[in-house]
Amino acid sequence: MSKKDSKTLGPQKSVSYAKWGYIFILPFFIVYIVFTLAPQFLTIYNSFFENYRSGLKQIGPNFVGLDNYKALFTADPSGTVRILKYAANTLILWIAGAVPQFVIALLLAIFFTSYRLNIKGQGFFKTVIYMPNLIMAAAFSMLFYTLFSRVGPIQGLLENWGVVDKSFDFFSVRITVRGMIALMNFLMWFGNTTIVLMAGIMGIDQALFESATIDGANSVQVFFRVTMPLLMPIFVYCLITAMIGGIQMFDVPQVLTNGKGVPNEFTRTLVMYLNGYLTTKNYGMGGAISVIIFIITGGLSAVVYKMLSAQYKDPERQHRQRKGNVI
Amino acid sequence: MKKVLAILLAALMVIGLTACGGNNTPTTTAAPQTTAAPGTTAAPTTAPTEAPTEAPVTQGKVFNIYAWNEEFKGFFEKYYTVPEGVTVNWVITPSDNGAYQQKLDEALLNQENAADDDKIDMFLAEADYIGKYVDSPYTMDITSFGFQNVPTMYEYTIKAASDPSGVCKGVSFQCCPAGVIYRKSIAKDVLGTDVPEEVQAKIDTWEKFDAVAAEAKAKGYYMTASFAETFRAFSNNCTMPWVDANNNLQFDPQITAWMDQTREYIKNGYTLTAGVWDQEKTNEMFKTGKTLCFFGPAWYYNFCMTNAQDPAEGCVGDWCLVKGPQAYFWGGTWLLAATGSDNAPMLKDIFETFTVNTDVLNKMVKDDNQYVNNTDVVKAFAEDPNYGNTAILDGQNDIAIFYELAKDIKWENHTNYDQLLNEGLQNKLQEFYNGSVDEETAMLNFYNYIAETYPDIVIPAH
Repeated sequence: MSKKDSKTLGPQKSVSYAKWGYIFILPFFIVYIVFTLAPQFLTIYNSFFENYRSGLKQIGPNFVGLDNYKALFTADPSGTVRILKYAANTLILWIAGAVPQFVIALLLAIFFTSYRLNIKGQGFFKTVIYMPNLIMAAAFSMLFYTLFSRVGPIQGLLENWGVVDKSFDFFSVRITVRGMIALMNFLMWFGNTTIVLMAGIMGIDQALFESATIDGANSVQVFFRVTMPLLMPIFVYCLITAMIGGIQMFDVPQVLTNGKGVPNEFTRTLVMYLNGYLTTKNYGMGGAISVIIFIITGGLSAVVYKMLSAQYKDPERQHRQRKGNVI
Repeated sequence: MKKVLAILLAALMVIGLTACGGNNTPTTTAAPQTTAAPGTTAAPTTAPTEAPTEAPVTQGKVFNIYAWNEEFKGFFEKYYTVPEGVTVNWVITPSDNGAYQQKLDEALLNQENAADDDKIDMFLAEADYIGKYVDSPYTMDITSFGFQNVPTMYEYTIKAASDPSGVCKGVSFQCCPAGVIYRKSIAKDVLGTDVPEEVQAKIDTWEKFDAVAAEAKAKGYYMTASFAETFRAFSNNCTMPWVDANNNLQFDPQITAWMDQTREYIKNGYTLTAGVWDQEKTNEMFKTGKTLCFFGPAWYYNFCMTNAQDPAEGCVGDWCLVKGPQAYFWGGTWLLAATGSDNAPMLKDIFETFTVNTDVLNKMVKDDNQYVNNTDVVKAFAEDPNYGNTAILDGQNDIAIFYELAKDIKWENHTNYDQLLNEGLQNKLQEFYNGSVDEETAMLNFYNYIAETYPDIVIPAH
């Protein structure tokens, strides 16, 4: 309320509703601080201690400074720094699933929202593409394991057709296991992304698409010049949340390979590594890995955000800025 | 409509919030103990010691059992009558990757704070890690609730369940001498005979066993169906534990002998790259299977050989048991009494049922083909000319063979790390056997796995 308004209304005492806003969002902040922020600091604190259980005997906590981090970044006799290997695995698995996920989701979102295509039975398709997300990741992985195992139907079929011989094992080849994990993540998440992106596209004024078409833009131009720039905030949101989920990838590879990360730990992700330390309740090493994961997540999110939002700034504001520069 | 929705959502939120904090309420209300004898008043007694000595012993309403598979649950439900008013609550967690031990440890460490009816009363432990629990304050002396070990129990089962000072914390309901279970029809084809004594003569040393493997291969058969099939025959004859007194990792000559044998077997195609519990292996037990030998104790029949018992595709009666190249035992399930149990009379009752109740034990041998932990019962079967196992074997008296084998079982060289080290070694080497990595990398992965799983084990330079 501006000063001018209150003057015209006379000497009436103004009621501030602002404090109610704060009161209403207070529960969230309390819950956030107690269950998220505090544990985060505790994790960092724990990472400086030797603290685990040997059998039923508690060892520590003893302050060891940065020893846990040193241990994480020490190469094993073959010269591999294991945490880097697992980080690379995680990123490869995520990218292999996320690229098709976003391409297909964008395509579908555009098809479904196109006023020119006007696809019938959208409700049905939307439900169907969302379906895989409703299955538990563990159940989905078990299904894939059963399908592709040595005694599974796919192996039998391929043997019958003479494509592979009896000694072939899907789970001993790096690319097939990684491919399966990427495929599962793609199948589980592309429906979800489609729906969020559709909501984003529907939020854009239809008149813009129409006027672009009238001005002679083809659909590719409309996509890159109109849809994408205006969709960017939602797209970046989707990408960053997907990336955070991807870095924390665990259930699919864990269940598919029974925690082994076959072959040769090439499908072992960062969180599977973290889980390995849970056998002995190793809070020290677990904390150190968590901190590394946190740093990786934060760093990558910042990079993605910077890159994309620099490329597609609000066009109007960019225009104004340019004008300003001229003057 | 909007209002209704708003109220509904608000109600949901409130329920959600209270559900988190309210967890303790139902458990504390369930805490009051009732006396075992029906008719007595169910007055809540928090201190059972205050009760007069003649009064019946108090008994909790819920009997919690932790286990890692359904095997014992089956026998328990079949042979044990639960006292009226007591509900048995099974908490079953598979043992893969140490999940069962983790779950159990969590519960045991929380035992003191748990409400009486949430406390573990009894839990099952396997040979590979029983020491960890026996040598801890979380298990209780069986004599504290009036159970006495009897001389009919196998000595090693008592030793395994006793702490270093000799206090016994539980009993085993089975004794697990193990041998070689072979397919008669394949033996006939490969060795020219299917008579147990003659087959045994041809495989009574590892050299002879290897020679037969070559003959089997020449005829298109596998000697074993899993690279890890013979693991226990070696590992349970180790002369030193996995770690020495200073927690240095050490490889027993028996373990390296197994590795050498398996490397050859895989190279020559004598065995499969399947793990010991994998379906690819158990599929070899169908009539169409091409595998001569399986290694296992009596529990193996029902636990691993269900495919052989399949009415349509199985091959019941085509099997015989012999000692094989090296006497050994495999596994075994011990029932341990958890400290803090409020169901002591029931614990005593269960222990008695599965160790001295000859009616039950006779049935377990006859109907379930178990080798029970009672020398009188098994001796009677071993000497009974009319007894024969027809559920899987060809009517051979397998108890007589197990009876001889069981005499030699010794309990030694065990550590608390055995389960995950045995499992880890097999898992990491499996990748070498199926061609994903070379042996050096597989062993490196094994060392890394140990460093991660047991930070207190010292791994020698490699």
